[in-house]
Amino acid sequence: MKKRTLSLALACAMVMTSLAGCAGAAKDATKASSESSAAETKASEPAKSAEGKTTLKWSVWDISKTTYYQPLIDAFEKSHPDVKIEMVDLGSTDYQTVLATELTGSGSNFDVVTVKDVPGYMTLVNKGVLEPLDSYIQSSGVDLTQYKGLTDQIKVEDKLYELPFRNDFWVMFYNKDIFDKAGVAYPTNDMTFEQYDALARSLAVDTPGQEVYGAHYHTWRSAVQLFGILDGKNTIVDGKYEFLKPYYEMVLKEQEDGVTQDYATLKTSGLHYSGAFAQGNVAMMNMGTWFISTIMDKIRTGEYTDCTNWGIAKYPHAEGVEPGSTLATITSLAIPSNAPNKDLAWEFINFVSSKDGAEILASTGTIPAVMNKAVSDLVSGTDGFPKDDKTSADALNTSKLYLEMPVNKKSSEIETVLNEAHDAIMTGSMSVDDGIAQMNEKIGAILAK
Amino acid sequence: MKVKSTNYKIRRCLLYVVLLLLTAAMLVPFAWMLSASLKLDKDVFIFPIRWIPQHPRWQNYLDIWTKIPLLTFVTNTMKITLIVTTLQLLTSSFAAYAFAKLKFRYKDTLFMAYIATIAVPWQVYMVPQFMMMRNFGLNDSHLAIIFLQAFSAFGVFMMRQFYQGIPDELCEAARIDGMSEYQIYAKIMLPLSKPALSTLTIFTFVNTWNDFLGPLIYLKTEAKKTLQLGLKMFISQYSSEYGLIMAASVLSLIPVLIVFLSLQKHFVEGVAATGVKG
Amino acid sequence: MAKTITESQKQEKITALQKEREAFSLKLRDAVGTRKRDSLIAKIEKIDEQIKKERTGERFTRQEKRNLIAYSFIAPNFIGFALFTLGPIIFAFVLAFMKWDGNSPMEFAGLKNFIDMFSNDRFRASFVNTIVYCLATVPLTLVSALGLAIVLNQKVKGKNFFRTVGFFPYVASLVAVAAVWNMLFSPMKSGPVNMLLYNLGVHAKSLPKWSADPNWVMFTIVLFSVWKNMGYYMVIYLAGLQGINGELYEAAGLDGCNAWQKFRYITWPQLQPTTFFVTIILTINCFKVYDIVYMLAGGSNGIVSSQAMVLVYHIYEEAFRNWNLGYASAVAMVLFLMVLVITLVQFRGEKKYAN
Repeated sequence: MKKRTLSLALACAMVMTSLAGCAGAAKDATKASSESSAAETKASEPAKSAEGKTTLKWSVWDISKTTYYQPLIDAFEKSHPDVKIEMVDLGSTDYQTVLATELTGSGSNFDVVTVKDVPGYMTLVNKGVLEPLDSYIQSSGVDLTQYKGLTDQIKVEDKLYELPFRNDFWVMFYNKDIFDKAGVAYPTNDMTFEQYDALARSLAVDTPGQEVYGAHYHTWRSAVQLFGILDGKNTIVDGKYEFLKPYYEMVLKEQEDGVTQDYATLKTSGLHYSGAFAQGNVAMMNMGTWFISTIMDKIRTGEYTDCTNWGIAKYPHAEGVEPGSTLATITSLAIPSNAPNKDLAWEFINFVSSKDGAEILASTGTIPAVMNKAVSDLVSGTDGFPKDDKTSADALNTSKLYLEMPVNKKSSEIETVLNEAHDAIMTGSMSVDDGIAQMNEKIGAILAK
Repeated sequence: MKVKSTNYKIRRCLLYVVLLLLTAAMLVPFAWMLSASLKLDKDVFIFPIRWIPQHPRWQNYLDIWTKIPLLTFVTNTMKITLIVTTLQLLTSSFAAYAFAKLKFRYKDTLFMAYIATIAVPWQVYMVPQFMMMRNFGLNDSHLAIIFLQAFSAFGVFMMRQFYQGIPDELCEAARIDGMSEYQIYAKIMLPLSKPALSTLTIFTFVNTWNDFLGPLIYLKTEAKKTLQLGLKMFISQYSSEYGLIMAASVLSLIPVLIVFLSLQKHFVEGVAATGVKG
Repeated sequence: MAKTITESQKQEKITALQKEREAFSLKLRDAVGTRKRDSLIAKIEKIDEQIKKERTGERFTRQEKRNLIAYSFIAPNFIGFALFTLGPIIFAFVLAFMKWDGNSPMEFAGLKNFIDMFSNDRFRASFVNTIVYCLATVPLTLVSALGLAIVLNQKVKGKNFFRTVGFFPYVASLVAVAAVWNMLFSPMKSGPVNMLLYNLGVHAKSLPKWSADPNWVMFTIVLFSVWKNMGYYMVIYLAGLQGINGELYEAAGLDGCNAWQKFRYITWPQLQPTTFFVTIILTINCFKVYDIVYMLAGGSNGIVSSQAMVLVYHIYEEAFRNWNLGYASAVAMVLFLMVLVITLVQFRGEKKYAN
């Protein structure tokens, strides 16, 4: 009896495997689709449901955490009753890897893809999987000046392959309680780097067990390196990096004096910047505006209790430069060159990145790419934003925006070198000069290739 | 005589001390996971470690079921893991028998082909494999993950090594008795290889259960995702809920430990215990 | 088949085969060297089989039948394996000589990928690091796994508990264990391990920064890997130990062997197939190390410095950040060749031992 069951099982296994092995595409496809749930649409040609609706497939991340996806879709579907937008969540951490793998070859059926960052954008453009948008932009008469020059920075060989809809820029978050306790005036929107450094030092307390840190720099290279490009004289892909020296020296000195937490410890402990700020012992932290909605949300739910009294100010500026210059991190939409419904996809993109889309984004506390007085009022008017505080509201008005990573064919290779040197300098395993020399040498070699 | 027994006692004591120290070293991470699973995420990475949270948040263990469709993920992972483990056990023990006890043409070549592939990191052939699977229409299906995992060279290699430890004379005797090779496999080899089969079950189970990259590339519909992808859902672009991740990780350990505990008794009843004296 | 051939034709064929056989046996008489003789004998045996097949009119010779039975055993696994693993791997090897980003048409690049490799700093660093890592990790893990298995194979109270505990680090989530490890080995003076060193008299300035320290990062990674993986190999050894016949130990006990002698003359030789397996899998896994390095030395920003770079990380970076699939395959080929050489050497050793 036992033997019979066993041989039966073996036979089954053999049949299954040989089926799997020999059966061609057709058989497997039916197998797979019979198994798949209703949510899935499997076809490379335009997918139409019974009522003749066209489905657009849109790749996104963090569906459950992002509040503006559904309102955008609702608004678009309202004006286009015959279109259905289907989101596919590729997860946030490895989003670009999964997306690039998905778009490899010719079998993908995404209509709209979200592009997370500039290196990811360059990867897709270099692979040739994105559709240039210029002709669409022209025929729809989109006014690119409303992006305040951002779209010029993401042109590759004079062609635009993505349109930004979200634009986070960096500001200085600060904890008002710490300033009050130390009797120091809040940061203003017009600080020079010297004033900022002095302010951070005046707030630091080094009593063991009750440390207060005047400033906090997250372990990203942007948190330190990009102070250097705000005067507009240099970019991060120039191949010459001497301009970073004063900023590294400032931060390293602060680290040495205990004004800020040690990079090596932050790196190995994996402390997230939100956790650091929420501890209530960080006076100032430079971070992107995406943190605004997180902090508002966590205070509302009662999780953050030690930083409820917060505000934002503009980035400090170098001597003789107009305040308000800062870094921008854009999130954009693009059309893959294999997209089944390109024209409809464009209509959706055009809507999301337009002023109408911007207002929907702003009402969820997110900074859209199209910024004007009305939109920034919407953001500063959201529930939980620091009220009766002109500085915080004003900090949303930027003068000049520089991309964290400008467009360059080699941007992902350059990124690697910059990260490595940043790590070496900040852990102290390399002097500032040696680190800069290494950047000059290696990036010079990459650019010369 | 007395000297010998005190000597023995001291040695025993030392052994237990060493074992207990090792246990402590092994269990520290688990203690940390447990403690982190009862914290708010802002407190998880605070240094120095606070082992016993001030206000334990048992809520975390409830939240993980509502914040993400955890039950679906567990069911999916369970399904994939069970199918993969069954296929892996059957096919590799079957193939391993031929490699260990039969003589045939191209044996060494075929076996080297198996071993050689173990040495190739998955990252290298992930893209060609993905494109192939997609052509078969297997993108976004559990079948892709099952095929990916079920026919690993590792299982064949491991089973072959264990079969080689079983004396050839046993098979020869059975052949003389007129048993076919299939009968020898089913009646002699399988019952003898319980320790090896248990080991392979544990390893396959753990690997499939904890696999992250495979499901990441292949599974996109939320209803099909697995537990490890679910864990990552607590890490979003701008925040990461480590308290919840750790709570879910603690729960995800339970099936693995159950499998380990229930199979490890088979390690004890090896060849000697089944009554065969080589 | 047999029906279509007449009796005379059959006889003719047999005579021809017999003639061939004669020729080989003549050669055999003059042949020198065992290898040559062996191959000649094999050929003669094959002809004998064929003659027998012709005489009886059977469809397959005995050898062919044996082959078919063996293939039927392998087939269920092999078909799946060949299709889903071997195929893509062969494709990847072809890629090593190509320039390809996954979308643009493939271009033949010859050996360019291999030449580029040796002028690439990151490749050189990762190559050296991988070898250092393997040289340190393989023996350490092997010894600790074997030791643990032998101890836990004895009559110890709570054996099952200890075994489970030993396997624990392997199953526990890497995120969690890496976090704890980095906490224990915190670069600060107040980190538990550094505190200990400080109290033992190490100067505060010369305390290592562990995974944030270029001189110590590899050491930290090795230590961590041994700790995390020894439970895995312990399980394999435990299963292997069950295969040893208890009577051998009894006999040795009667002969008055001590514990070391029992280990040296029974346990160790009896465990050879297991050790062979463990060494190969361990070596391969060491060469393929990736996520441990990433989690431990990458920190919250995923930056792996050149002192901790390993080959697979380099492959990952090239394949998925820069989409140089050809180059990444070429690096994998180098990795593969290294492992292959090691495996072949061990394979030969195993055969020698078995004989």
